[in-house]
Amino acid sequence: MAEFLLEIGCEEIPASWLAGSATQLAERFTEIATREVLSPTNVRVAWTPRRLVIAVDVVARQADQEADVWGPSLKVAKDAAGNWTGAAQGFAKKNGVAPEALQTGVKDPKAPQELNLLFVKKTPGRATLEVLPAVIAATLRALAFPKRMNWDAWLDDGKGGFSFGRPIRWIVALLEGAVVPFTIFTAEVGAQGAPLVVSGDATYGHRFLPRGKAGGPLKVRSFDDLQAKLAAAFVLLDPNARVARIREGLPEWRDLVEYPTVVTGDIPPGFQSLPREVLETVLVHHQKYLPVVVSGQVARFAAVTNTDGSAAAEMVRGMQAVVVARLRDGRFFYEEDRKRTLASRVDDLEGVTFHQKLGTYRQKADRMVRLVEAMGAAKLLGPTDLAAARDAALLAKVDLTTLMVREFTELQGVMGGIYLRAEGASPIVAAAVSAHYEPVSIEEGSAPAGAIASEALAAFSAVSLADKLDTLAGYFSLGQAPTGSSDPYGLRRAAQGAIRVVLDFWPASGPRPSLRALAAAATAGYPAAVGDLNAFLTERLRYVLVSRGFPADEVDAVLGAREPDALDDPREALVRVRALHAVRSEARADFEALATAFKRARNILGNAPATAVDPALFAEAPERALHATVTGLADTSGGYEARLRALAGLRAPVAQFFDDVHVMAEDPKLKANRLALLSQTLSLFYRIADISKLGGQS
Amino acid sequence: MNLQDVIFTLQRYWAERGCLIHQPWDAEVGAGTMHPETFLRVLGPKPWKVAYVQPSRRPADGRYGQNPNRLYKHQQFQVILKPSPADIQDVYLGSLVQLGIDPASHDVRFEEDNWASPTLGAWGIGWQVLLDGQEITQFTYFQQAGGIDLAPISAEITYGLERLTMYLQDVDDVYKLRWSNDTLYGEVRQEEEYQLSRYSFELADVELHRTLFEKYMAEGWRTLKVPGDRSVLAAYDWALKGSHAFNVLDARGAISVSQRAGMILAINKLACAIAAAYVAPPAEAESPEAARG
Repeated sequence: MAEFLLEIGCEEIPASWLAGSATQLAERFTEIATREVLSPTNVRVAWTPRRLVIAVDVVARQADQEADVWGPSLKVAKDAAGNWTGAAQGFAKKNGVAPEALQTGVKDPKAPQELNLLFVKKTPGRATLEVLPAVIAATLRALAFPKRMNWDAWLDDGKGGFSFGRPIRWIVALLEGAVVPFTIFTAEVGAQGAPLVVSGDATYGHRFLPRGKAGGPLKVRSFDDLQAKLAAAFVLLDPNARVARIREGLPEWRDLVEYPTVVTGDIPPGFQSLPREVLETVLVHHQKYLPVVVSGQVARFAAVTNTDGSAAAEMVRGMQAVVVARLRDGRFFYEEDRKRTLASRVDDLEGVTFHQKLGTYRQKADRMVRLVEAMGAAKLLGPTDLAAARDAALLAKVDLTTLMVREFTELQGVMGGIYLRAEGASPIVAAAVSAHYEPVSIEEGSAPAGAIASEALAAFSAVSLADKLDTLAGYFSLGQAPTGSSDPYGLRRAAQGAIRVVLDFWPASGPRPSLRALAAAATAGYPAAVGDLNAFLTERLRYVLVSRGFPADEVDAVLGAREPDALDDPREALVRVRALHAVRSEARADFEALATAFKRARNILGNAPATAVDPALFAEAPERALHATVTGLADTSGGYEARLRALAGLRAPVAQFFDDVHVMAEDPKLKANRLALLSQTLSLFYRIADISKLGGQS
Repeated sequence: MNLQDVIFTLQRYWAERGCLIHQPWDAEVGAGTMHPETFLRVLGPKPWKVAYVQPSRRPADGRYGQNPNRLYKHQQFQVILKPSPADIQDVYLGSLVQLGIDPASHDVRFEEDNWASPTLGAWGIGWQVLLDGQEITQFTYFQQAGGIDLAPISAEITYGLERLTMYLQDVDDVYKLRWSNDTLYGEVRQEEEYQLSRYSFELADVELHRTLFEKYMAEGWRTLKVPGDRSVLAAYDWALKGSHAFNVLDARGAISVSQRAGMILAINKLACAIAAAYVAPPAEAESPEAARG
């Protein structure tokens, strides 16, 4: 084996792309090198903002290739006298050999008696060094970036213009220390121009370090050598080494720097009383600094710099100036905003447009209040929770009129909660307003799980649901349902958020909301619904359940259940799929057999109306046996798991029934009775899962 | 270093690297990118290197001269290099050294920040350059201007002169910047900031500006379509005027969301038509792009 080393030296690649780009580099290179029979193994990748690196062991030479080329049948290849026909000669000539040199063999295994002419085409393997330039070109082309840029570059791989994530400035390409020739050209008026980047054995270290000696090329021989030389030139190539130098768990900081050094600065006491969320937003989101808490107050900040730290004092002075300027804005906004209560600003929402055709946020607030009241009317909320949820729905969007949220939009909701608490409003209302944009991600246990006091869960759930369902109903009424990858209004996320509220947050003690009924109530606020919101919600529920690790066929089976159906009670669907998943993994063979039988039963039944079974009409033993089992399973008092375990016992009587009983009997009475029995059997499952949706081996 | 010394230093630095030193465009613009020596010159194949100061008006950012960090009108130092040289980042960093910033003693970062201007149909890929956390430069590889894919790609370097100089002078209030040895920024511009903020937030005649916007757009199209061409540069000025009228109306709070989208689209259409005419005129004439030296 030989080590192939590729370093793609770039201008700063966005930090959020890097780890993904390195993974892609490994995957794409492995695919392409495998296709070229280079047997890549021991793939290692590393990166910094200015480079993507891959080291791989490959064979020094491709293996020789053999391929079968089939010619005419022997019957056609020789005439009656045993001489080669024109067809045989043509085939031989095409492959550059005499007919005598051809072999014969069985082309079609189903007709072993028939022989065909066969040419075994041998392709000698090429030296890996010759193959690699095309592999590099194909790998570079195959890397996908969130945004590609044109940088006037050209590859001579026949495809021409070459866009990339950021401009490439150098390439190290070495096979066992020998340079693999590879050139990127400039593109000049749509044609190949002069060489722009030529591969070599020289890498580049930190832009500014070591002091006075930075910037020159460094010759390298191998991956290990590259790491060592770069380390001496203030570049820690291994991302883990950078994390270790910073601190565990700060990947974004890691990918903004090549040589991290932490410095710290002070936050002047006058700003320490600002709400913590404001301090953190300024520090973390806008400056990428870490807040440091000293005795309960954010009193300092830590910054990860791309330096050796020897001029820390001067840098910190600059950083503090930026932080203070930002915080001064923040304090000004906070003090201005506090001059009026949120409740007195509700009508200011008339000046904030939600959507041109869906009106202002003032109108949206009214719709949210009405939806919350509908929840109250449906007895989903008790009087106390209803009052809190109504207030929260009216106030939820008011912080959009504050200076703070206009400047730091990511604080929407949160800021409303902060102002309400500062005004002395109900903590339940404040909590509901603060969190109502949540949940945003779909993982169980992700925010706002654990962040909301139990007494505020009902109000939060109601307001969050009302907001999301109103948004969904509104955009659906405009015919703006998401299509393909286009979802400009984030409707998928809104639907998933609504589903998660019901699955994970709605208090378990009281009645549970029907998404179908609430979606209908939300839709009633708009002139006309376009598109099927229920189907969309069901599809998103399916997505959430599959994302939680349940096999798709089990989710589909549960979504096919009735009484209640999944949209009427999504949490029941979650309970059902958990049970099905547990029991099916114990009795996989039983469920597979049952699934097949039930598909058959469903096909037979079609849309035939259900009738009652008459035991007197049974003509054969398996009918009676199945009926006895079905009757014995009619008890629905046990939990889903117990019921499913019992239902797995249907496998044998159902199989027996299908083997021995002719359902479509001549006698219409017998036939109707048998269909009724099948229907009754299926109905046992319908209140848990549509078992016919289960697939085979998964 | 004074504000004017910063300008002198940057002008000399970029002139030594082959840039023509141009002057600010004499119409209201929101950014140096809107100067025709950028917007039109980045179109087409001809190499071009230019640098200039461009006072940039953003009426909605006006703060009556009260906010130490925000201005109705700030000054950009704009550099265009077409095509972009391979060592562009190093050349840029060299300009910081000229200003007395030793990159080894500061935290200099290139952080992803892609630029787009919906009104100009223009966008690019690039970074904001942070110096110890302060954004001092926007660095962009233009990808499109006037809706046209660019080749070759131009690099645009935009220094925020006030921010950069505040950093160099270690002051936290723009009005305390030393413009020259004996004059402060506030003495030169604070009253102007107050008056222009007051005008755009309180005094601007909304109906007049709406009418002006419509008329500017119409005049732009009329000029662009004069038979025989050679009117692109004249038409472009009307697009700029329309853009400024729009900004005044926006600051005045006189534009609804739907109107806003419509007005941006109107300017965008005119700017794209101008760009298209600039690179591909009627068959019989030489294109303005080709006709210019």
